[in-house]
Amino acid sequence: MKTVDTRGLTCPAPLIKTRQGLNEASAGEDVEILIDNPTSFSNVKRYLSDNRLPYTVREEGSLAIVTVRRGEKTELSVNETEYCTTGSEEPAPKVRKTVVAVSSERMGSGDDVLGTKLMVSFFRTLVMLEPPPAAVVFYNAGVKLAMDDSPALDHIRELSEKGTAIYLCTTCINHFGIRDRLPTGSFSDMYQIVNILRDADHIICP
Amino acid sequence: MSFDLLTTVETGGCSAKIPPRQLEELLKDLHLPADPRILVDISTHDDAGVYKINDETALVLTTDFFPPLVSDGYDFGLIAATNSISDIYAMGATPLVALNIMMFPSSRIPMEVYREILRGGNDKAQEAGVSIIGGHTIDDYPPKYGLAVIGTVHPDRVITNAGVREGDELVLTKPVGTGIILAGHRLKMTTPGQLAAAVLTMKQLNNRGAELMARHSIRGATDITGFGLAGHALKMARASGVTIELYMKNVPLLDGTYSLAEQGCIPGAAFRNLDYTEGETLLADGLDYTLKMIAHDAQTSGGLLMAVAPERSDKMLRDLHSSGHPEAAVIGKAVRRREASLILA
Repeated sequence: MKTVDTRGLTCPAPLIKTRQGLNEASAGEDVEILIDNPTSFSNVKRYLSDNRLPYTVREEGSLAIVTVRRGEKTELSVNETEYCTTGSEEPAPKVRKTVVAVSSERMGSGDDVLGTKLMVSFFRTLVMLEPPPAAVVFYNAGVKLAMDDSPALDHIRELSEKGTAIYLCTTCINHFGIRDRLPTGSFSDMYQIVNILRDADHIICP
Repeated sequence: MSFDLLTTVETGGCSAKIPPRQLEELLKDLHLPADPRILVDISTHDDAGVYKINDETALVLTTDFFPPLVSDGYDFGLIAATNSISDIYAMGATPLVALNIMMFPSSRIPMEVYREILRGGNDKAQEAGVSIIGGHTIDDYPPKYGLAVIGTVHPDRVITNAGVREGDELVLTKPVGTGIILAGHRLKMTTPGQLAAAVLTMKQLNNRGAELMARHSIRGATDITGFGLAGHALKMARASGVTIELYMKNVPLLDGTYSLAEQGCIPGAAFRNLDYTEGETLLADGLDYTLKMIAHDAQTSGGLLMAVAPERSDKMLRDLHSSGHPEAAVIGKAVRRREASLILA
């Protein structure tokens, strides 16, 4: 365990010392950061979360002790999960129950024309589902369903209006070069997609 | 004179602003006067208010003041005045007259420092063709200084946050990183050259950029200050009903900015700005964390961010490069409105 003492320091010195401590710690070694400045405490937590470094927090009066867990099999700590959901406008997964994962433009295989027709029909029907799915995640060729000329676009928009979060895989968008042709949906990275799928109660894969 | 103004403050310059989200919350219930002569008010979060006098002339009014961000009084005065006048330029207007706004602890700091700050403000105003015709001082600690400036513009040629059109390219005139460099300086992590370059850019008027905006018929622009590049771009995107994409790798940076930010030298204001933008911002896959935080670094007396039609951007860049802005660059573009107002790539 390595200890970084930032007591008495003000922004951004505690963050710099945290960064240094993480750099200097040997692989797998936990790093404990002592912070007594509330702004720095909040910024250090934010920094760790953004850089996907799991940590736990212990508060003793005005002193906060943040421990960065660098062991191999660490789960996201309770504190970090809380942090993710309370960051009021974080475009984080607002997953309640059902998530739809769409990996193709077509439903099923066999006949492409039929497959397209079925997928459009799937979305038309999905709009009627009550409550609406928490999120639809589009990846691989599935992202093309959200393009401006897609026959399913209107239904996807209706879903979005009903409160369903629409996530589009950025890597896939870049791969197909269709960034300018997506009128709806949020760009999403694999970290976010994995979290959405993990937090789902049901996953529908048409 | 050897009094170090930096001993009076923890955060100076535009880093001392109230968090943007909190400010919006405070202002949202404020009654906005409905007068047709008011061409621009706070509803679009513009740099200055614009009031139409007649068909030929509109008044542009702005004020800005902040605590010290450098040690030397004269430099502080120069930077504060440059920053205050910048809002007039960002609106496409010509600054005319100004008033000094000063808070100064007469019993705690030598009055010589007061004179030096005013001298800096006066010299910069003179360079901009602005006459300082009055002012107001309050005894207060730590000191704060700035100007209230009045300029004029033709009512049809006002440049605002709302004037960005789909397809426009976004040109930034000055390098970014003043917040990070100044924080690094206080922790003795910068070289004298890095600090000097940051001070120099903060002392540079945006007058040349404003002249070029007029020549190229620009309608949408802002100056980059306390809300950082991302915060100001977001305000533009919202006001204009477009989505703005910023290519962070194209953004000119002050020397030292990247390595300081990478070492964790990220001022608190950048986190406040991040809080403000993130609900409406998408981060492209693989966007470097350090560049993301640099996009949110609060700038003092930053450059102009202007929306230029793509067929004119080459000429605009050439003109900027030959008028004292060698680092001006295209750093983004406006695209059709998506759910998110801002995309950082």
